[in-house]
Amino acid sequence: MKLERLVNIDRRIVYLCIAVGTTLPLLLPIGLPVSSTPPVRSLFEKVESLGPEDVVLLSFDYGPTTAPENTPMAEAILRHCFTRGIKVVVIALFPIGGVTMAGEVLANITPEYPQLQEGVDYAFLGYKDGAQAAMKQMGVAFVNVFPVDNGRRPLGEIPLMQRVVNYDDVDLIVTLSTNVIAEWWANLVNAQFGTPVAVGATAVSAPKYYAFLDSGQMIGLLGGLKGASEYERLVIDRYPHFARLYDRPGVYTAIKGMDAQTVDHAIIMAFILFGNTVHFLIRRRDRRAGLRDA
Amino acid sequence: MSQLIGVWVAAFLTLCIFSFLYRDNPFFRFAESLFAGVSLGYYIGIVAVNTLVPNLINPLFGDFGANAHLLIPLLLGLNLYTRFIPRIAWLARISLAVYIAYYIGINMVQKIQGEIVPQVGSTILHPIGGVMTPVDNLILIVGVLAVLIYFYFSIEHRGAVGAVSRLGVWFLMLGFGAAFGYTVMGRVSLLIGRMNFLFIDLVRITGQAL
Repeated sequence: MKLERLVNIDRRIVYLCIAVGTTLPLLLPIGLPVSSTPPVRSLFEKVESLGPEDVVLLSFDYGPTTAPENTPMAEAILRHCFTRGIKVVVIALFPIGGVTMAGEVLANITPEYPQLQEGVDYAFLGYKDGAQAAMKQMGVAFVNVFPVDNGRRPLGEIPLMQRVVNYDDVDLIVTLSTNVIAEWWANLVNAQFGTPVAVGATAVSAPKYYAFLDSGQMIGLLGGLKGASEYERLVIDRYPHFARLYDRPGVYTAIKGMDAQTVDHAIIMAFILFGNTVHFLIRRRDRRAGLRDA
Repeated sequence: MSQLIGVWVAAFLTLCIFSFLYRDNPFFRFAESLFAGVSLGYYIGIVAVNTLVPNLINPLFGDFGANAHLLIPLLLGLNLYTRFIPRIAWLARISLAVYIAYYIGINMVQKIQGEIVPQVGSTILHPIGGVMTPVDNLILIVGVLAVLIYFYFSIEHRGAVGAVSRLGVWFLMLGFGAAFGYTVMGRVSLLIGRMNFLFIDLVRITGQAL
């Protein structure tokens, strides 16, 4: 009877363990090591190969609901691009909060680079509805989709957008995505226009993108918080001055988040092992009892 | 001060949502309904400001002659609302038909050119060639064939076919396991974000404001 009680633990006890396992590492960071994987290194090296003459199109295709995963990716990639002097065109195709996320990330990152000029070093074109139609039309001309930027300035008056007409003038597309939009960047834009595409995906949607990675339709993949932490680590290792920025207390980063992630995974695995052990103990006990009765 | 009020409202709503973990209650249902309503309102506002005004209204009022063709999507869009007038509700089907046809056209090319052909191409491998190791290639070839046989229902899954089909099930289970592992990681990440907000951001912003 005691064993039955162990397999029927109140699920709220599990929730409590997870809450403690999440909170403690955030308050007292452990500093677990982060190693990088080939899909993340591939994107990092691609950005490393670009310079001040090159243009990256950064699409914010996520909302606040997945910000803990996607925002650290966006910040690390933007810092990497701005450090290398790469020109960045920022757009948003996700309706519920994409443009707000893009605005927040730009507002956080651009003050770190006082030499940057909006419209010259980067452009923020804002949000457009109908992602597939917008992607297709941007292959003809960005101005057809975004006649004005997020600040209502006509595209013709923005120096950067005078030389970035369509995908032919973009060297890399990075989508930070929460849903199917990342797939469209690969199977529509990469397939029809040939522009290299890399994806910063939520963990939930990352597994299906490995097929696109293997087929060469995506050149890099950041899967969830783990992918974001790998990119942060690569950026810090290559540009050590970022270490001070990422180590600031009270600043949320994917590397810090991975401490909590690892503790939570250990708790989940412990509960799985515990539940299975008790299950097999009950089965063995019942089998023996059956033999004794027989 | 407005930021302080904002973060405390956000903290209260976060706790309302978390309260469901204990049991269903009116606070959870209030926060859930508020989220749905606010999301819809936000969506309508963002589409109006970012798409309708710059891509339709401004061009039509700015230079009607050069942009008269925009009347076509405008009329098609307005036509959708005829479904609320029962006598002429059938008119809405015209707009719907144009909308569906457009996206079928886009999707058909997209799926064939951008998905089926490259994905089949990347599965046709020389067993010992390519960028992957021969072992990777072998696993991919065997896995794809086994899963395809599992989904081939024109012959009974017995004997050798049954064995390969069972192997296909193992490959599928491995795939589902990987997807589930990623899903757990994703959900935990979102929890980390909220906990970070409650225990770090909220404390910091409150401390700065007071």
